[in-house]
Order: sequence, then C-alpha cells, then structure tokens
Amino acid sequence: MHTPRHIRGALIGAAVLTTILATACSAPGKSSTSSSGSGKGPIKIAVVDAQSGQLSSLGHWESNGAKLAVDQWNAKGGINGRKIQLDVFDDQGDPTVGTNLARKIASDGYIAMIGTSESAVTQAMAPILQQEQIPNITSGQADSMVKLGSPFLFLNGPTSTTYDETLAKYVVDTKGIKSIAMITNNGGYGKGEHDAFLASLSKRGVTPLTDQVVTTDQKDFSAALTTIRQKNPQLVFIGSEEVEAGLIVKQARDLGITVPFAGSAPQGTPVFAETAGAANVENTIVSSPYLGNDISDASRTFAAAYKAAYGDDAELHGAKAYDGTSIVLTALKTSNVATGKKLADAIRATKYNGLLGSFAFDSTGVGIFATSIGVISNGKLAAAS
Amino acid sequence: MRYRIGLVALLAVVAWGLPYGLNLYAMHVADVALVFAVLAIGLGLAMGVAGQVNLAQVAFFGVGSYAVAILTTHYGYGFWPAALLSLVATVVIGLLVGTPALRVQSHYLGIVTLGLAVAFTNWVTNAALAGGASGISGIPVPPLGGVDLSSDYLYWYVEVVVFAAALAFGLFVVRTPLGRRMRAMRDDSLAAGAVGAEVPMLRMAAFGLASVYGGLAGVLYAGLIRYVSPDTFSMTNMFLLLAMVIIGGRQSLVGCVVGALALSLLREALSDASTYAQLGYGVVVVLAVVFAPTGLAGLPARLRSGWRKRRGEGASAAVLGPFRPFPAAPQASAPVGPGPLLEVQQISKRFRGLWALREVSLSVGAGEIRGIVGPNGSGKTTLFNVISGLYRPSGGTVRLGGAPVGGRRPYQLSHAGLARTFQNLRLFNNLTVRENVLVAADRSRTRGIWRYAVWQVGVVRRDRALRARADAMLDQFGLSAFADALPRSLPYGIQRRVEIARAMVSGPRLLLLDEPAAGLNGEEVRQLGEIVRSIRDSGVTVVIIEHNMGLVMSLCERITVLASGEVIAEGGPAEVAATPRVIEAYLGDSAMSKDVPPVIATEVAQ
Repeated sequence: MHTPRHIRGALIGAAVLTTILATACSAPGKSSTSSSGSGKGPIKIAVVDAQSGQLSSLGHWESNGAKLAVDQWNAKGGINGRKIQLDVFDDQGDPTVGTNLARKIASDGYIAMIGTSESAVTQAMAPILQQEQIPNITSGQADSMVKLGSPFLFLNGPTSTTYDETLAKYVVDTKGIKSIAMITNNGGYGKGEHDAFLASLSKRGVTPLTDQVVTTDQKDFSAALTTIRQKNPQLVFIGSEEVEAGLIVKQARDLGITVPFAGSAPQGTPVFAETAGAANVENTIVSSPYLGNDISDASRTFAAAYKAAYGDDAELHGAKAYDGTSIVLTALKTSNVATGKKLADAIRATKYNGLLGSFAFDSTGVGIFATSIGVISNGKLAAAS
Repeated sequence: MRYRIGLVALLAVVAWGLPYGLNLYAMHVADVALVFAVLAIGLGLAMGVAGQVNLAQVAFFGVGSYAVAILTTHYGYGFWPAALLSLVATVVIGLLVGTPALRVQSHYLGIVTLGLAVAFTNWVTNAALAGGASGISGIPVPPLGGVDLSSDYLYWYVEVVVFAAALAFGLFVVRTPLGRRMRAMRDDSLAAGAVGAEVPMLRMAAFGLASVYGGLAGVLYAGLIRYVSPDTFSMTNMFLLLAMVIIGGRQSLVGCVVGALALSLLREALSDASTYAQLGYGVVVVLAVVFAPTGLAGLPARLRSGWRKRRGEGASAAVLGPFRPFPAAPQASAPVGPGPLLEVQQISKRFRGLWALREVSLSVGAGEIRGIVGPNGSGKTTLFNVISGLYRPSGGTVRLGGAPVGGRRPYQLSHAGLARTFQNLRLFNNLTVRENVLVAADRSRTRGIWRYAVWQVGVVRRDRALRARADAMLDQFGLSAFADALPRSLPYGIQRRVEIARAMVSGPRLLLLDEPAAGLNGEEVRQLGEIVRSIRDSGVTVVIIEHNMGLVMSLCERITVLASGEVIAEGGPAEVAATPRVIEAYLGDSAMSKDVPPVIATEVAQ
C-alpha cells in the first residue's frame, strides 16, 4: 500500500532532476573573477596573519609593519593617484582557515597578499594563490616553502638555511668552536632551524655533542639542559621563538651552564633579553638581517616612525613586513599597477634596498641571502667585529 | 513520506545548482563545510548513537588525510589507491583507539581518547615521515576521467556524492538492527547485554564506523586542500567538531550535519572576530547541553510537544489491550526433561567483607514457576545477577539445561535462552516501545554486520522479519497502541508489561522476573499472574522474585526463601509458610511484617 507511493515520489524526483541536468550542462564557475588591477578605486592588498591564538603577537607586529609602509605611500599620494587599501584577515593559525581566506581575497579582488607568519598556513594557501595568480610575500622562512616552487610566492627575509649557514660559518670557521650542543623545539620554526643548522654543521664535519628537541609549549627544560651540561660544550645553539628561548637561557644559567648561546633572529630581540634576564644573555651570538633599530639611518627612521604610529618599539617582524610591503608597492608602481603574473614578474625584477639589506629576488622567490652576525655585549646587540 | 522524498529531491537540486550561484570563495567555504559534515556524522554515530565519548575523531580525520599525503608524495601511489589504503589505515587506527572502550566508559573514555588524539598530533609534529610541523605539500589532484578536480566547483560534486552516500548509510545503520542495538547500549548497556546485544563488539563497531567517516573526511580534505599539517588536526578543531555535534543534536545524524554546516559558515562569517567567536561557541555549547540536550535537531519535537501542552491536548488516548495467552506448548502437560533446567550449586558472592550469597543451591525443573522470597537485602537480586551473568560468583557453579554457564557474559546467556527483567525498570528510554522489543527480538550475532558493507538488502529483509515478530509480540501483550511511544511517557504498570514483552520476544527457555508486581495495582497484579501462568504454559520456566505474598502463594509451585544470603527454606507454599525460620526472618524485620501472609500470622498466633 505504501510502496507504490514511494516509488512514484522517487520517480518524480528523479525525473525533475534529470530534466534540469539535461537542460543546463555547462560546468559552473567558469566566469572569470574580477580584479581591481585595471580599474579605478583603491588598490586592494590583503594582510593575512594570525590575529588570535598563540601566534597573534607575531601577526600583530607584521600587520603593523605592513600598515606603516602603506600609510607612508598613501601620505605621498598613493600609486598613480590611486589610494592603497590594506585589509587585515585573521587566519587563526589554522591552514584550513588560510585556504578559505585565500579564496576570499581572490573573490574580493585583492591583487597581492602580505603574510602569513606561519609557514604551514602559507604552504596551505600557496596552491590556491598560484591558481588565482595573486603574488604573496610571506614572512615565513622555512625552506619547505621554497621547495613548493610557486612563482607567486616570495619571502621577505632570508631562509633558515641562510640564517644558520652564516651562523655556522662564524662560529665554526671564524671562531673555531667545534664542541656545540643543540636545543630546538619541534614547531615549524624550530624544526627549520634544527635541520638547517645541523646541515651547516655536518658540511663542516662537525657533529653536535647532543641534539635536544623540546616542544613548543614546554616550560621546564631541566632534563634537556642537564644532558647538555654533562656534555660540557663550548656553545649552545637555540632554535626557538623569543619567549621560549629566553626561558631556556634563564634555566640554563640557573643550572650552571655558563657558555654562550647562539641562534637566529629571535635571540636578538628585546623580548628574548627580558625573558632571560639581561645578565644571562651576555655574549649571545645572533644571526639576523636586522640586528636592531640603531644599525643604520634607515632603521632609525623606520623605528621612529613605528614608535610614533604605534607607541611600541619596532622589531624584526615589523621590519620584515615593512620591507615586503614596500617591495610590493614599488613593483606596483614600476609595473603601472599590474596584476597576476605581470605583478609577480615585477616583484621578481624589483631591486630594493631595505631595512634587512639589498633585495634581489631569484627564481625561487628568495630576495636576500645574507644575514649579519651580532653579539650581545653590555646588554646591547652590536655587529660582531 | 511523500513530503520527505520531496525534501530530499529539493536538497539534491539545491546541491546541484549551488555552484552556479556562488563565487569561488563561498564555494571553497562550502567545500570545507561539507568535509566537516562528513566528519560530524562519524562523531554523531559514535557519541550520539552508540554513546561512546570519542574525542579522537579529529585524529581519525588526520590519519585519513596524512595517509593519503604520505602514500601519494612519498610512495608514489595514485590518489584513489592511496585513498582506499588510507581508509583501511584509519579503520585499523580507529579500532585500536576504541579498545580502551572495552574497559572504560563515559568521561574516562573521553580522557583516554583525547590522550590518543594528542599523541597523534605529537607524532605528526615530530615524525620526519609526516614532514614535521611544516606538513606535507604537493598532494596530487584526484584524477577523474577528464574532469578537473582542482576546481573547487567540480570538487563540490564529488563531495556531495560521497556525503550523500555517507549520510544515507549512516541513517540506514541507525534505523536497522545494528544502530538499534547501539542506541540500546547507549541508553542502558547492562540491559542491552541482557537482551543479547554484544556490548564489546558494538563498542568496537561504533569506533569502526566513526573511523570510516573520519577517513572519508580525511581523504576529501586531502583532495581539496592538497596540503596537510598538524595545525589542522588540533584540539581547537576537535572542540569545534564537538560543538558542531552537540549544537546540532548528537542523537540525530541530520542534526550533526546541520550543526557542522551552520558552525562552519558561522565561523567563516565571524572570522574577523575569531577571539570572541571562540568564546561564543563555548557559551552556546554550554547552553545547548543545559537547555537543549537534543540540540537543533531536537527543537521541532520540543516545540511540538510544548504546543500540544499549551493547547491542552492530553498525552495519548491509547488504551492497554488485553493480554492474549500464548499457545500452550504440547509437552507442557507432561513433566519434561531428564534434569532440572536451572541448577545453582553452592553459589557464593562476596562484596569485600560482605557475603551477599553464601553457598546457595537450588534447582528449578523445566516448566516450573519458582518463587524466591526473603527480606530486603537477603540476596535475591544478587542471585539473579549471578545467574544472568552480570556478576561473577565468588564460588559455585550455575548450569542451564545441564550445561555449565558460569563466567559467561550476559549476552551469551541471552543467546543460550535466558531472559530477565529488572527490579528497577531498565527500558531503553530513548527508544520507542517497538524498538525496545525489536532490540530483544534480534537474535543475530554482531559478527553478522559484514552484511552492512556488502549486502544491505539482506539487512532490510531481516529487519522486516524482526518487525513482524516484534509487532506480533506487542499485539499479544496488548501493547500495540503504545508501539511508537517512549517508555518514559507511559504509566508504570505498562512499562512493566513492556519489559516482560521485551524479555519474551527473545524466545527464552528460562525467564527471571525481578519483582514484577512492585508498583502495580490489584487489577494489574491479577493480570500479571495470568501472564506469568500463560508464559509457563507455553513451555518457559519462570523464576520470580516477589514481595507480594498473595501473588507468590497463588502462582508458584515451589518457593525458595533467602535470608542473609542463605537458603533457609524451600518447598510448597504452605510448607514454606510453616517453617519457623521463615517466620523468624520475616518478623525480625519489622518493615516487612506487613508482607507476612495470613497463614503465617495464624501460625504465629497459635
């Protein structure tokens, strides 16, 4: 009694469906997306960074740096008489959210993207941005991003390999230090540092005395540090972000490890020094493209403008984003506000003298291949003699 | 029904036409939302349907997509072979994660599964094979004839097909024997075991199902994003998934889907204020748990019942039908069998320092109605629990039909022909009366669930047969009018009767009734006597614990009296009533003295 009625209903449904399918067979999504490149109105640039969650401070510094560059260009009248509109999006440090945002900025007509600070999110977004032909200047430094080979992906700083090759060269070749201990975390940044520094060491025939790996949310490092103390190294390499590195150094001094530490950019920041204690960071060797706000006239001008705009002291991440954004804006100007592949080519052709040094991009999207070595003495980071 | 088919057809048209109306961004968001919907169905099956607190669902998701990533990028597999292998891998992991469920339940299980999920995230963060924190990129686009699946629009159709199949299969499971048993287990795992549901196997099946959905979602994710990294499978996302299922309504798969889609879209809409959004989800989850435990899916039903109450419509006008006696078994008149059907020898049960039973022996012949009486705390229910396998005796043996059954699990005893009722009703409260009976009518073993994977028609046929059997039993007990009601909504006396019907539908040889007359009025007690006699006449042996002495005296051929865990008397009603120790035991307990039948009172007076 029931069954015929079911069947009839199903048949009607199927019939309706097939009719519609037959009448319109074209695939969806063929219409081209609009771009603001050739039109009028503001030039839209997106900043995608974590504005919430663990990495939000990083994201905050970077959006500040990018905003500063855009504000300065807008104050001078924009590009070709058009204002630059910079909008910040929150990727929450989640790659899936990142892919959503990649589609969003494409649909909303943004022609370039600044960020993100987390390599994993950048890597998730890269295929979409490549498909949508949106150039992206990231603040990440993982070598795995370079391996993606996307012609639309650029780095606003050196890769981990550059940081650590410079460091290893100074430590091993110049200083002749061969008994080295390593402590790194297993996060994206720490792992990149670990792999790059280890590679640079083994190239020089040096094997670390011990290779300690900690987690990103660890607070007590006594087990790893005790092992390091037993090995009695001349130098300890740290591959970790500012706060954790500071904690490691503080606890190491408490355990009686007196030898100097060495690391990349985070170890040159005030946050690191404050966390560890000023006395504890003496003689720390830092490999960084931006040793501090007092390194050159350009950095002093930038730091003053940053302080005036946000009331905070400038630091590396803001400087990197500032450089990256300036490069995009320069490329937009030279290319007469091109978009897509033309803009990417313009960025690649841009030679730019920035806070981090001289940018000249190669085919992999890396523009800067040198860092400076600094040493903390009397509480100040200064270039090594 | 027609309306429902229309709805499905409408949804199909919407799903087909959606890509034409969306821009790339909205399309991508919809693609991601649908992946989470598949994932949420799996969590709904484990948590809502089977009651297994599974906080490792996001790890199943991760295993699925990581397996695809590793197999395609490291070992050069094609996308589809890798997808198939990763499904297998996810199920293996799912069953491993599920094993703790055999020992622990509820929040303890939650802690264990959460721990395993964290372990997974740690492993992928550290393992070189999984690419560490920077993950694995370069997963190939799934090839599909000439269709370019790198387009989010076309990928949508692949997802819709997988999603529709996944949802249909999930609903199919829920409405057929396997899902019914899972829901019964969720409501009352003890009673489910007693009616023949293999609780351990069902728990594993729940985790198996959850992992299949996790794996499917993982494969879809890998094909869509083509990049995996540990952040995607973080605890934040596990919580988000949990929120989807709880807000949507965990006991309804459609609710889980609605929750997943709603929350995915909401998350996207609120992406500019994600800090507050996270807080908002937390608040909404708490509100949902407290005020709407059935979530969005339960709202229509709640509104409907609220509406009815306001209009003053009474519950149901249904009436209890008369009990139709069972056909008498041909051999019932003749004394049956060589030995006793139930033989309890020297059974002891000790709880720490307390001997609840001390060397209790009794034997019940086939076709007998045996009464067991005794003051409160004398060990009657403990004896039932030992016989029905809920307790392991500290000593002694139990034989059923001559075969030793000591140490068997309740479901094994159920399959061996034992059925029971409980002193405090143990009906499955979220199952209708018919479903309660259906669970017990199902005599199959759980290992038969391979049919779900390959021969669904067989499942449907068997389900139809079960329904016929259950309806016949409901009719026999005069319960047809209540078949679609939830037990809680019924008067106590009717619930008692449902429990007996549920016990009888399993076709037992031996029926244990634990205080079936408690809470019944005089007429109901009379009907109960009639029912029990008819059950016996149909060839089932009955053992009955009862405080209502009038019923016991009129019903039972022999009575065993327990006091302080020991048998103090056994014999015919009159014989037992005259035993001095029985009188002493009863009068010693003033609370029970009202139960002393007149015959004992006269004895004492003389």
